[in-house]
Amino acid sequence: MKLAFDLTVRRPGFTLNARAEIDADRTGLFGPSGAGKTTLLLALVGLLRPDAGRIELDGETLFDAASNRWRPPERRGIGLVFQDDRLFPHMTVEENLLYGWRRLRPAQRRFAPQSIVELLELGGLRGHYPAALSGGEARRVALGRALLASPRLLLLDEPLTGLDLRLRRQILPFLRRIRDEAEIPIIQVSHDLEALLDLCEWFVLLERGELVAQGRYLDLLARPEALRLLHEPGLLNVLRLAVVRHDPDAGLSFLRFPGSAGEGDVAGEGEIRAPFLDRPAGSLADLALRPQDIALARTAIAGISIQNQFAGRVERILESAGRVLCVVRIGAGVDPARALIVEVTRHAVHEMALKPGDTVWCLFKTQSLRYL
Amino acid sequence: MSWPPLTPLEWSALLLSLKVAGGCVLVSVVPGVALGWLLARRRFPGKAVVDALVHAPLVIPPVVTGVLLLAVFGRRAPLGAWLEQTFGLSLAFTWQGAVLASAVMGFPLLVRAVRLAMELVDRRLEEAARTLGAGRWRTFFSITLPLALPGFLTGCVLAFARSLGEFGATITFAGSVAGETQTIPLAVYGTLQTPGAEAATLRLSLLSILLALAALLVSEFLARRMRRRLGRRSGAEEGLP
Repeated sequence: MKLAFDLTVRRPGFTLNARAEIDADRTGLFGPSGAGKTTLLLALVGLLRPDAGRIELDGETLFDAASNRWRPPERRGIGLVFQDDRLFPHMTVEENLLYGWRRLRPAQRRFAPQSIVELLELGGLRGHYPAALSGGEARRVALGRALLASPRLLLLDEPLTGLDLRLRRQILPFLRRIRDEAEIPIIQVSHDLEALLDLCEWFVLLERGELVAQGRYLDLLARPEALRLLHEPGLLNVLRLAVVRHDPDAGLSFLRFPGSAGEGDVAGEGEIRAPFLDRPAGSLADLALRPQDIALARTAIAGISIQNQFAGRVERILESAGRVLCVVRIGAGVDPARALIVEVTRHAVHEMALKPGDTVWCLFKTQSLRYL
Repeated sequence: MSWPPLTPLEWSALLLSLKVAGGCVLVSVVPGVALGWLLARRRFPGKAVVDALVHAPLVIPPVVTGVLLLAVFGRRAPLGAWLEQTFGLSLAFTWQGAVLASAVMGFPLLVRAVRLAMELVDRRLEEAARTLGAGRWRTFFSITLPLALPGFLTGCVLAFARSLGEFGATITFAGSVAGETQTIPLAVYGTLQTPGAEAATLRLSLLSILLALAALLVSEFLARRMRRRLGRRSGAEEGLP
């Protein structure tokens, strides 16, 4: 997938000016509310005509103001899951799901309805009408309906907002399944950094109608203008780990970076101790860890209650808004997923004489790990 | 007495009334829905003028509407003469003319009902349909029209009922030819002019009232069924008696 756009949307009191080329399969569009995220999605999908610019998808021109070219939404092959679901009230769940799918030629259909029904666990809802669905169920039907229309590119507008914590927990696993199993490029909008980090690899940052920066999360942290934006909701480390074993009596689960041979930590097992998680060994889990919950030390420390101690190498030291962030790579590899962002004070950096390339130990408590 | 217990005159007036009213709905439906959609969904220059023209028959005296129809579709009027020469279709003083007269009178009711119903259809659902690959036509027929169906049916029933009661424009434009243009209201008027036909007037009036009530009942029945079907989207209304 290659999406290129350079567009201007003028509205009273608001102008969106965005230019980017995106070829990542999982892109997060991040910015505070009012940044123009939804406006950008509407322009891409064709429900809003920009005042100037152009949009190209896989080499096809969808919009070009200069030559007055405009492809209507139904011929763009771009799906959009709206914040408010927009299920058709006069149709059953099944009819909603098949709305776009039915009119496709068999060769254009990328999924069998049954596989989507199973993926999103909609089997029991097929005969229901939308009014009878809970918020989480309606969101799943909207996702399924958009997937079955077999778009070349799927846009998700705040797939987790409007849902309370319980529903969020319900929907997130399904979004992960779509990310992992549906071979469709996805651009998703959110002001929820935690969810985006979990689901996306490439980030586009918008603020007040302007595109501030784009790139991989860890690279964006190196850029002050991006860091300021990412800072506001609170930075997070997201670790994708594999469950190794459990100690239910101690209320602990032991996890490690997938594929790691047991390196880095003080016990030489490469295992992270996290609160107990009721999932079988071998399954994957995403954990969040706040940068301010990690301490740095020059050596491993014995006789301390903190048992997660991992050696790493300081890769970068960044300063933003009076805060100092160290990016520390755990273990020997270069896997970007194994970097931790650690927040320290300027005083500490000075005192420890920290500089890139140094070996340090990252210490964090079991209780500071949260499952996403 | 044979069934139905009607005299030949009453029977022919009844059948003619139904034929004219049915014809009136048939010829009005497509332009009525199109115009209702246009007024509800599109902005175009002259929209206010179109709106006023559609509604004019509601406020112009029916006799005057009949006169205007004669001026346009009469045998010697340009359009009327052209229709007769080209298609052999003569409107003035024929049952087709009665259909035209009552269609013009009922049209604003149909357009109004369709327009109001379509204005209430959530545009965001139409947008969603477009992103799922449905073009304008498919969106209209699968989303807009089904969701506006109660209003559409109300409009049809109103136009039908208006046609059953139409008098002024019809008698002016189509005359009162027994068996051709003499619908029930015209027959009532006719018997009223005839000395000693008071009983016939009464019977025809009764027939007219029964027909009107039947139309109301059918419309109420349809509206209820529709509400039940669409009521699913708003659970709040379900609880109401």
